Amino acid sequence: MTLRLLAIALRNLLRAKRRNALAGGSMALGTAALVLAAGLADGITRQLSDNLIAVQTGHLQVVVRPTDFVPQNNPFDAYGQDEIPDADRLARRIEQEGRDAGVVRAVPFLFVRGTAMAGSRSSVAWIVGIDPGREPELRAAQKAVAGRFLPEGDDLAVYLSAPSARRLRLGVGDEVSFVVQTPRGAVNSFDGTVCGVFRKGAPWYDSAFYVTLVAAQKLVDWPGGATNVKVLLADGEGRALQRARAAVDAIVARSSPGPLPPNTRVRVETYTEAGRFSWAIVQANEAALVMLSGFLFAAAGVGVVNAMLMSVRERTREIGTMRALGLRRSGIVGLFVLEGLALGIASAVAGAVLGGAVVLYLALTGIPMTVSSLAWMAGGDVLYPALEAGSVLRATLSIVLLSTLASVYPAFSASRLEPREALHHV
Amino acid sequence: MSDPRRALLLAASLLAQAALARAAGPDAATILRRADRAVLGEAAVYTLRMTVIRTGKSDRVVEMKGWKKGDEQGLVRYTAPAKERGTAYLRSGQNTWLFLPSAEKVVRVGARQNFGGGDFSNADIFRLSLIRDYDPTLAGEETMEGQETYKLELKAKDRSIAYDRVVYWVRTDGTFYPVRADYYTLAGKRLKSLVVSEVKPLGGRTRPTLLAMESRVDEGSRTLLQFLTIQDDVSLEDRLFSPGALERGE
Repeated sequence: MTLRLLAIALRNLLRAKRRNALAGGSMALGTAALVLAAGLADGITRQLSDNLIAVQTGHLQVVVRPTDFVPQNNPFDAYGQDEIPDADRLARRIEQEGRDAGVVRAVPFLFVRGTAMAGSRSSVAWIVGIDPGREPELRAAQKAVAGRFLPEGDDLAVYLSAPSARRLRLGVGDEVSFVVQTPRGAVNSFDGTVCGVFRKGAPWYDSAFYVTLVAAQKLVDWPGGATNVKVLLADGEGRALQRARAAVDAIVARSSPGPLPPNTRVRVETYTEAGRFSWAIVQANEAALVMLSGFLFAAAGVGVVNAMLMSVRERTREIGTMRALGLRRSGIVGLFVLEGLALGIASAVAGAVLGGAVVLYLALTGIPMTVSSLAWMAGGDVLYPALEAGSVLRATLSIVLLSTLASVYPAFSASRLEPREALHHV
Repeated sequence: MSDPRRALLLAASLLAQAALARAAGPDAATILRRADRAVLGEAAVYTLRMTVIRTGKSDRVVEMKGWKKGDEQGLVRYTAPAKERGTAYLRSGQNTWLFLPSAEKVVRVGARQNFGGGDFSNADIFRLSLIRDYDPTLAGEETMEGQETYKLELKAKDRSIAYDRVVYWVRTDGTFYPVRADYYTLAGKRLKSLVVSEVKPLGGRTRPTLLAMESRVDEGSRTLLQFLTIQDDVSLEDRLFSPGALERGE
């Protein structure tokens, strides 16, 4: 019976080509718009999280925080302010003992604020001391556009962002100086040479200057110290992340790094906790996507209901004949719901293909974020949308569901027609 | 030995002692202690004009009134220009506070932050005693800025002092006026230089009245502090140097 109804439904769809093409077209465009919006949101999420993990926090980070630490929701919250003594020893221990929990790499780095100077120009500098040989993710995230990435063992090399290079009028081979106040209070300086310039990525890395960990340790007068230990995992999602966190927590507790400054403690933070700023942007984008989806659903839903109601009106005689021939009310409801379902499937698949093609194209070319506020929202000066199967499936199924549900009311309207009344039109 | 010979020996011995004493001169700590008090006395009230010079920008001129008591307490209030009037810095012990009248708020600031956007840090302005923070060594005598000077090497007593090393030139003519100071970072880089000049009568005695701080890393940056009036040996109450008084504008 259902198969017969389905055959009738499909035939009916083809009979009213223009009307169904309009209704289906609006749903297909709605699906394409949803897929595109989801692609943009997924691209932003991916850019923000990849940047955060590669550049700042890893999947987990070990950091010394004040006992009353309250995150201020800015991009620099992730960086620690206090020293983890003998950080390299702690990092290597996490790497060795955490292998079974999925730890791939643990790397110490040191962050300090200072002033960068070149000639008569100066700028704020977020100086980050890294171990260049153990930072392949950072190297990939902040690719050199001139010169090269920080070379291992060159404690005079400086790797800086393109905006900083422009601001200070620096090129590869030029000299740059930093002046910082050490945590103990003395003023210290560093004279280095630019080895490379990277494309900035997220706008909040505009002021980042990379030097070797050894150079940064000398600069802040912390031999062997660091502000963060970045931990990279084989799987940084869900349960695997929590399992690794518990393992790293235990390793840190066993290592008991110290002595620590008064009123501080060592914390192990996941990237979502440490990078609250980035996650606030992700959440804002997701909220915007939900709102956009709501509007699209409403528009497409009205289109489907309208098309179906028109169909009921045009097919009054047909409905009357079917009822007179013995088709029950439930059969009429089923027929119209099946028509809605079929129209929804055809439209959603067409829309998903169209939207997916646009997302794939934009993922290859990128969308320039020329305005500063857009670059902040997208976490980079170019946004690469991402085509994720889950998002495409969600958009497709939701349009199919919408089309089916939207056909329920017209279906019941049709089923309420009495055969006598319907045949009156014959 | 006859009396004339004894008198001659005595005279020779006295002359030799005097020559030795002059050759030995004051020790490094004495020179530094005297230089610490060369511009301002133990307690003083003063007015000064600060001129911040930056390459490619017009000079920024601020006038202020200051109070100083001992080595621990200092207060400076802006008096001009009108838009900055009321801004004040307070140093009491190891702490420095800034009062911004527009925000009606007192905030604690770092001693190493720059003072009023110039090349002096808060610590430079309120460094009330070098002898307290540094171990001095007399490195010799030399001509500096056209003056005969003692050259002092100052080494910070610990790694919390802003400048790890200071080379300090102080006049040898008995006035102990500072002539110049070069400030070095922990890494040994010369960060800035202070030149002290314009010795003239002010507030009842002759003293240097112009302090010029020049950045050695930020080329072309220079800040001048010109003392306009100085009143030494005044009686100042401790409550003047409290954050509460700073906010009340006392």
